[in-house]
Amino acid sequence: MEMNRRKFLASTAGAAAAFTVPGMTGQVFAQEKIVRFSFPQDFTKIYTFVTSEYSQGQRDYITLVNERGGIGGYKIIADVSDHANDLPRAIEAYERAKREGAVLIDPLSTPVARALVPRALEDKINLITAYSGRSDAADGTVFPYVLPLSINYWTQAALIIENFRKMEKGDLKGKKIVFVHIDTPFGKEPLPILDVLSKRLGFTLQTFPYTPPGNDQSAIWPQVRRAQPDFVIFWGAGVGQTVALTEAFRNGLKMDRVSSSVWLSESDMDVVGRANAKGVMKVEPCVGGRSPKIIKDILSDVVGKGKGAGPENKVGTGYYNYGVQMASLMVEGVRMAVQKAPNGPVTGAWLNEGLTSIKDFTAEGMLPPTTVTKADHQGGGMGRIARWDGDKFVPVTDWYTAFQDVVWDEIRKYAEEFKKTGK
Amino acid sequence: MFYRRAGIRHTRYEDERQLFPLTFDRVLIIAILVLLLSAPFWVERLYLVGYMVPWLIWSGAALGLNLLMGGAGQIHLGYGAVIGIGAYTSVHLVRFGVPLELAMIAGGLMSALIGSIFGAAALRVKGIYLAMATLAMQYIVDFFTQTKIISGGSLATLQVPPVSFLGISLKGDVATYYFCFGVTFLIALYMLNIRRTSFGRALAAVREKDYAAQILGVSTYRYKLLAFWVSSFIGGVVGSVLAVAYLRAISPDQFHLELSVQLLAMVIVGGLGSVLGPFLGAALILFAPIVLNNALGAAASAFGTDIPIDLRAHMPLLAYGLMIVLFLLYEPLGLAKIYDNFRKYLLVWPFRHAQK
Repeated sequence: MEMNRRKFLASTAGAAAAFTVPGMTGQVFAQEKIVRFSFPQDFTKIYTFVTSEYSQGQRDYITLVNERGGIGGYKIIADVSDHANDLPRAIEAYERAKREGAVLIDPLSTPVARALVPRALEDKINLITAYSGRSDAADGTVFPYVLPLSINYWTQAALIIENFRKMEKGDLKGKKIVFVHIDTPFGKEPLPILDVLSKRLGFTLQTFPYTPPGNDQSAIWPQVRRAQPDFVIFWGAGVGQTVALTEAFRNGLKMDRVSSSVWLSESDMDVVGRANAKGVMKVEPCVGGRSPKIIKDILSDVVGKGKGAGPENKVGTGYYNYGVQMASLMVEGVRMAVQKAPNGPVTGAWLNEGLTSIKDFTAEGMLPPTTVTKADHQGGGMGRIARWDGDKFVPVTDWYTAFQDVVWDEIRKYAEEFKKTGK
Repeated sequence: MFYRRAGIRHTRYEDERQLFPLTFDRVLIIAILVLLLSAPFWVERLYLVGYMVPWLIWSGAALGLNLLMGGAGQIHLGYGAVIGIGAYTSVHLVRFGVPLELAMIAGGLMSALIGSIFGAAALRVKGIYLAMATLAMQYIVDFFTQTKIISGGSLATLQVPPVSFLGISLKGDVATYYFCFGVTFLIALYMLNIRRTSFGRALAAVREKDYAAQILGVSTYRYKLLAFWVSSFIGGVVGSVLAVAYLRAISPDQFHLELSVQLLAMVIVGGLGSVLGPFLGAALILFAPIVLNNALGAAASAFGTDIPIDLRAHMPLLAYGLMIVLFLLYEPLGLAKIYDNFRKYLLVWPFRHAQK
C-alpha cells in the first residue's frame, strides 16, 4: 500500500485518538479505603535538579507504607505527573486532582505554589510547599491550607548565621560575611533576615547578586575574594550552585568557611569534583545517607523486592531523603487524622486536622523533632549543618533552631500584609 | 455537497462582502458557537476550567499578536510583557476599587501606550532587528515588574480580589467561562472584520512592502504605530482577563519570555494572518503536552509497563517536538492552512482536480 500524506495523517490522528482515553489512571483501588495525594511536579524544566530524586523518595516511602497495610486501613495513592513549571499545566493538574478527590497536593515549585495558594485556600485542599512557595505560609492562621512542613529560607539563613557564630566562639562582631545569590526573588529572600542579624550581631554583610540561571559567575567571585570575607554564603539552585562552588574553589576561598542552604547534593559534588568541594557546609533538614532506619526499611522491603521507583544508587542521596522526609510527614498527618476521625470522610479538612496535630514526630530518627500546629506550619524550624568530607555530608551540629523571633517577625509581617492586601 | 456554492448568487455588493458568503460556513460557525455556548452544560468541570478557559484566553492573546505579526508583518518577541502590563495595571486598579470593566480598558490603554513606545522601534528597524528591539522590551518590562511598587517585593504575588463584570460575579466557573468566551468572541469578531476595512488593507500593504505602501500613499509611520497600538491594547485586555479569570494571583514570572515564545509558537504553528489559526495553535501548544502526557500515562498503566517517571515526563516532549516539526514540514503555513486545504478539497468534492 502506498503511504501517501493523507493516509499518514489519518492514521496518526487515529492512533492519537485511540491513546487519549481520559480517566484511566488510578481506578485500581476504587473499592478500598484510600487517601489520594497528588504530586504534579516539574520533571522537565527548572526543578529537574531535585524533582526526580525527591519524587523517588516520596514514592518509595508511600510504597513502604502501603506494603505494610497502609494507615488504619487506608491505602495511600500518589498520582505523579509532570507540570513542567508551566501554569496552565499545573492548574490543569490541580483541577484534575481535585476532581479525583485528592486531599493533598505537592507541586514542588515556587511559581506553581504561589499560583495555587488562592485555589487551595478556597477549595480546602492541603497544599504542601516544601522548600518552595511563600515563606510566610508558615503562619497557619493566615494560610490554613498551605503547609510548608519544612524549614523556610529565612530559618535556613538564621541557622547558617548561628553556625558561623558558634564557629567564632559566639561572637561575630567585626566579621565580614559575604552573601552571593542568584538575582531572583528566591535569591533575595534571605536578605531581610541577614540585615536584621548583621545589626544585632555586629557583622558586616556584603551581597553579590549574579544573573540567573548562574552558569557564568566568573565576574563575581574575584570580587568576593577581594572583599576578604570571613564567611561566605552562596544561595541558588541547580546549575548556579555547582558554578558557585567551582568559582569559590578556583578563587582560593577557604572551603570550610563556605555554606549554602538545603540545595546542595551529592550529585552537585560530582560536578564540582568531590575532593575540591571538601569542607563546604549545607543546611540539613533531615538525616542524609542510608543510615536512618526508614531508609534501611525501604532498601530491604521496597527496593530489595523490586518495587523501587527508581535507580537503587539514588536511595539515600540528599534530595531522595528530602522526599522521604516530606512523605513521612504527610503520612504522619494521615495517621493523626485517622486517630481523630477513623471513619473519615476523607476530605482536605480531615487531613488538615491530622497534619496540624503532628507532634514531636521524628520518623524513627530521621527528622528533627517536628511539631506542626494550627499556627506554626513550619514545624518548629529545626535543622542542622552538615559538612562535605570529600565523600559524604557529615553533620557538624546537633538539631537546633536559631533566631526564630526574627524569622517569625518576618513571617508575621508578610502574612499580615497578605491578609490585609492580598500581596 | 459540503461547502456548496451552487445556487448562491450575489445580487448585491453587501452579499458578496459578508464575512461568510457560503451557507455551509455560516451553519458551521453557528454550530460551533452553540457548542461553545452550551459547553458549561455538557463539558465536565475539569475540562471547562482546565482546558476551555485557558484555551479561550490564550487564543485571544494569540489573535492580538497575530494582528501584528500576520496582519502588519511586524515581529514581536515581547508580547508576554505586553500582557503582563495589562494584567498588573488592571489588578492594581481593581484592588483600588475600580470596576473591572474600567480596569480592563485601563489595562489595555497602558499596554497600548507602553507597547507603542517600544513599537516605535519598528519605524526604524525591520525583521530580526525588530525582534531584538521587542526582546529588549520584554527584559525592560520584566525588570520593572520585579520592583516592589509594581509586584510587591520579594514574595511577589498579587492576589486578585473577587470581581464582577457587568454586575455578574466572576466567582463561579460558569460565569468565568462566559466572561472569557465573550472577550475572545469580540476579539475574533474584530479580527474577522478588520480585514475588510481600510485599516486592515493598509496593514496588509505595510506587511507586503513598507516603502511600496508609502509610495501608494499609505503612511507607514502611522500604520506601524497603529498596529502596535491596537495589538498591544488587545494584549492588555487579555492580560487582565488572564489575571482575574484564570490565574487569580499574579507574579512577574508568569509574564516572562516563556509566555512570549509560547504565543509566538501559537501564531506560527496556527497560521500567520488567519483568524482560525490562533485558536488551533493555542489548542495544540497548550494541550498537546498535557494530552500526550496523560495518554502515555494511561497507556503505561493499561499495558502494565513500568516506565520510569523521568522518561515518562520527557517522552511527551519528544513527541510534542516531533509533532510540531511534522506539522510545519507538511504545512508551513500552519494548522489553519490544513483546514483551508481540507475545505478547498471539499469545495469541489466529489470531483477532483487533476493530480500528478
